Amino acid sequence: MKTRRRQLIATVFVALGGIVAATPCLAADEIGPDDWLVKMASAVQTTNYEGTVIRLQNGKSDTLKVVHVVTDGVIHEKVVVQEGDGLEIIRNGNEVQCILPDKQTVRVEEWNDQSTLFSSLPSTDIQFGNEYDVSIVREERIAGRKAVLLAIRPHDEYRYGHRIWLDIATGFPLQTKLMRDDGEAIEQVKFADITLDKEIHASALAPSTSIENFRWFTQPQRKINHAVDSPWNSAELPSGFAVKSTHEEDLPGRDVPVIHILYSDGLANVSVFIEPANDKKFARRSRAGASNSYSVENDGYQVTAVGEVPAETVEKIAISMQPN
Amino acid sequence: MNDAIKTQISAFVDGELPQNEAELLLRRLCQDVELRNQAAEYLAMGRAMRGERAIVGVSMLRERVAAALDDKELQEEFAESEVAAPRFMRPLAGVAIAATVALVALIGLQQMSDVPDVETVQGGEAAAGVTDDSYTVPEPEYDPLSDYYNSHDASSAHIGFDSITPRLITYEIRDGRLVEMELTDVPAENDEQDDENEETSSADTL
Repeated sequence: MKTRRRQLIATVFVALGGIVAATPCLAADEIGPDDWLVKMASAVQTTNYEGTVIRLQNGKSDTLKVVHVVTDGVIHEKVVVQEGDGLEIIRNGNEVQCILPDKQTVRVEEWNDQSTLFSSLPSTDIQFGNEYDVSIVREERIAGRKAVLLAIRPHDEYRYGHRIWLDIATGFPLQTKLMRDDGEAIEQVKFADITLDKEIHASALAPSTSIENFRWFTQPQRKINHAVDSPWNSAELPSGFAVKSTHEEDLPGRDVPVIHILYSDGLANVSVFIEPANDKKFARRSRAGASNSYSVENDGYQVTAVGEVPAETVEKIAISMQPN
Repeated sequence: MNDAIKTQISAFVDGELPQNEAELLLRRLCQDVELRNQAAEYLAMGRAMRGERAIVGVSMLRERVAAALDDKELQEEFAESEVAAPRFMRPLAGVAIAATVALVALIGLQQMSDVPDVETVQGGEAAAGVTDDSYTVPEPEYDPLSDYYNSHDASSAHIGFDSITPRLITYEIRDGRLVEMELTDVPAENDEQDDENEETSSADTL
């Protein structure tokens, strides 16, 4: 029942989001945790904001100045790293420029999704079932604003938990934590200060210096082929994970396309990549921040699972993949 | 965590905690993950509020840019930046002992969170590209795991939670400098056992 309710809410969140967002004066205890998720999804999609973000990971931290504006559905963002050489990342729609002012260099990339530049903010399509519990923990103050702490706790060790501090007035997430099952925070993103839904001048999104005479270089665009049927599947997926897409993908250095199967439990995502084994050495286990990978050779193929899940999860999935 | 311990951590981070209390708190920090996280958070906020800009170099990103542009001067500068002293090793003239203790605690936090004895996965070298008047197009790199991480990120961004890691995978603060985040090969203690399990698993399917 709980699952059906969440899925229903997620399916119609756009419509409901508008309604909930239009009633920002509700007290935190007047709406339930599921309603907060709906409100959050709407706020993330539509809110313009400007602020200072602190990211903590592995006991290390960095500070970013962030501006985010959505105009007619097009995302415009600017992130300035406060340490180092003042690296700036500017996004206008799908084009992303990484600017190194001191070296007068710009690297251009193309992004084809709607994710934000900097954060572990939840995306707009949240649908999860009985693998997690959602609860309201307490109210706190974050970045000078009243916030409600929402806890999303997994029922097993195959996925991470989340703690989200939502602005009570708007539902916007002011702080997020990714938690291991032992309670340790893997990654934390927190606004030290933030301005929500106030007019942001276009100049706030412009590069800090003129880049007209900078040297530019580009990254090759990623090529994705059409969806395919794959004989590969797993009979031992952790509960709740299901196939979301299967397609072939051209990746650099490969003579043949790589099969890419995307699994999700609604919050956590795992990709499985399958390509003919070759003489290139893959690390069996690797990690980057909160993401882990596990690679194993199976039946003449290199099978690699990657995702923002514990190392045990990618290992379990990679090993369990078999061709029919 | 109660307000009293939060206050104590805050005072500790601000260098206002008496030395005897600081020593006791350090012991608790060594034993309690939540307290360490809280201390790290206060330290980060303190640095943000002070507007510190103490980090040198954008080393890995620079290296890639330098290689792509075949820029010798930039490459040399990158090499020099590799040996620059970490920010936490800089002289701390006039800093009270408690503040020094706080720095030691932060170094401790970093050491505790690092994975020992990891090997870096070797990525492909960025080749000099084909240049026109305005753009340099690098030759494709063959870095299989990085390709996988990036592809996973692009494909899953619209589902579930969007982790900061993939999006800022290029930019991580490490050892006092902004560097390209490495994929780290995590060795297992029981790889031999894993091999046995995998053999068993494969055999079961035959």
